[in-house]
Amino acid sequence: MASLTLHGLTKSYGDVAVVKSVSLEVRDGEFLVLLGPSGCGKTTTLRMIAGFVPPSGGSICIGDQDITSLPPWKRNAGLVFQSYALFPHMTVAQNVAFGLEMRKASRTEIVPRVAEALRLVRLDGYSERYPRQLSGGQQQRVALARALVIRPDVLLLDEPLSNLDAKLRLQVRLEIRALQQQTGLTTVMVTHDQEEALTMADRLVVMSDGAVRQLGTQSDLYERPADLFVAGFVGRSTMITGIVTASGAFRSDGGLVLTCPATALQGPATIALRPERLTLGPAAQGLDNHAPGTVSFVSYLGAMLDVHVRLNATDHVMVQIPNRSDGLTPAVGDAIEVGWPASACLVFPREAA
Amino acid sequence: MAHVAQRPVGEPGNLTAAGLLVPATIFVAIGLLVPIAILFRYSLNAFVPGKLMVDALTIANYVKFFTDPFYLQVLWRTVRVAVACTIFCLIFGFPLAYVLARTQSRHKNLLVMVIVLPLFVGNAVRAAGWMVAFGSKGFVNSSLMGMGVISVPIEIMYTEMAVVIGIIAVNMPFMVLTLQSVIEGIDRNVEEAAFSLGAPPMTMALRVLFPLALPGILAGVILTFILAMNAYATPVLLGGPKFQTMGPLVFSTFAQQNNWPFGGAVSFILMTVTLILTVASSLLIRRRYA
Repeated sequence: MASLTLHGLTKSYGDVAVVKSVSLEVRDGEFLVLLGPSGCGKTTTLRMIAGFVPPSGGSICIGDQDITSLPPWKRNAGLVFQSYALFPHMTVAQNVAFGLEMRKASRTEIVPRVAEALRLVRLDGYSERYPRQLSGGQQQRVALARALVIRPDVLLLDEPLSNLDAKLRLQVRLEIRALQQQTGLTTVMVTHDQEEALTMADRLVVMSDGAVRQLGTQSDLYERPADLFVAGFVGRSTMITGIVTASGAFRSDGGLVLTCPATALQGPATIALRPERLTLGPAAQGLDNHAPGTVSFVSYLGAMLDVHVRLNATDHVMVQIPNRSDGLTPAVGDAIEVGWPASACLVFPREAA
Repeated sequence: MAHVAQRPVGEPGNLTAAGLLVPATIFVAIGLLVPIAILFRYSLNAFVPGKLMVDALTIANYVKFFTDPFYLQVLWRTVRVAVACTIFCLIFGFPLAYVLARTQSRHKNLLVMVIVLPLFVGNAVRAAGWMVAFGSKGFVNSSLMGMGVISVPIEIMYTEMAVVIGIIAVNMPFMVLTLQSVIEGIDRNVEEAAFSLGAPPMTMALRVLFPLALPGILAGVILTFILAMNAYATPVLLGGPKFQTMGPLVFSTFAQQNNWPFGGAVSFILMTVTLILTVASSLLIRRRYA
């Protein structure tokens, strides 16, 4: 058990920087998720922690020990791969025992520990099977047992659920999280699936273009995104572009004048709006910002409806409302009032995109 | 006809499939099995000097081979050379095949070409090249003597070592390409998993890579061993007239001594020994790693 600290971790191939000075601390027993679109450097970061990719700069520490220059086999990190990566020529028990044998554990120690690890992932009774005789979910659980049995300092998960079908993914997700909490293992997981990330993590790191955009809890990222990228990547938002005319005042490109939280920002800006913060109909009148619009599109999500409302030639917003049976379902073409409080406006400098 | 129309489009009927197999079957039968059968029959005939082959049913030719120390010496030498070549091909070829299989280089195709390149040069031509390089006044000896490294030319030509080196050079591409295709099929993550569990590279190779590459190792070993057992041009040109192996022996018995019955027997002994050793080595490797 230990914390994991990355300090200024950098990786470049020639002139191309894939990971740009990533610094973060994973606390002892914490489940940290690296989240980002493909090519953002999250997998390279994980592979540097595992020791498969030598960093171009920076350091990696487990607890007080600098492991930056240690080869993978001396790092005591448990790894779970997207492809499971079980040894196909070994039985389940032999797979799990492998790491213990490498640690020169005695036979009398290996047998009970393997049994215990398999019990932990509810696969006792499968020890003599070969990986090809198991389902994808079972294979991933063997991989997990194999990584846990060595009592690693850190557990590294590389998109562990991506190869599983949707239903199984939910189940294995909960199992991994439960196991992690049970064992109190410091864990880093890489994923591009934000639902997965939000449900499993203690804290999340959003990366793009090789850099950390924000590190925080789910509500930090969702309610207080650090920048426009995070606001767009985590959860859904509609963007309204315009200019900040004075502190707390914003004029959109389409001519809407909006009240927003006081900000030091001046000039071109973008407002991000979370769809559930908006109100439709007469109730909108009493809010800080309100405007008339026309319903342009309605998508039916079951419990919720997404209503797209066009406010003028350039501005439109998406509103999420509960699906009620009282017949108040907006239809395409309806004229409707949309409103939202000033606090719903997340204001960001406009990014060159 | 109705029953023809019911067959899914693109799925050949039994007759068509059989038809496709006929040419290859005829070719194998006429080109391989029939001659071997005839050869075997010849090996049971008697040889009478002056009258050449005489119809008979005798195992005298086989007895002659296995009772004459000269022939046993030839067989032993052939096996020794073939085993040495196969082992060296495996030891040198595996790392090469591994690098080739795992490289991310854009020039991978070029590397494969370089491996295959020796096959573009015929056996005899290449052996002739070795003769020029390794002769007592050849390139290697002249260079070494010119630099003062040695004062007396090293005897490379017409030794067992020359033959072994020559055959390794010929057989290496077969070993490397066979291994490469199998190693490419092994998930890189499996190796990384072994590393992360605490296995240093050699342990990883022994416990994970070799067992998984076993089909390739078997195929490569069988291929190179058979080629080495039956080598002809290389032992003749690099081994010289005194260095007899089975391949050249078959030829000289047939063509120079016109002793077809004994030639047939030698051929059959070569074939059988190759087969037995191949099967034995396969079983051995399989038992060791699986």
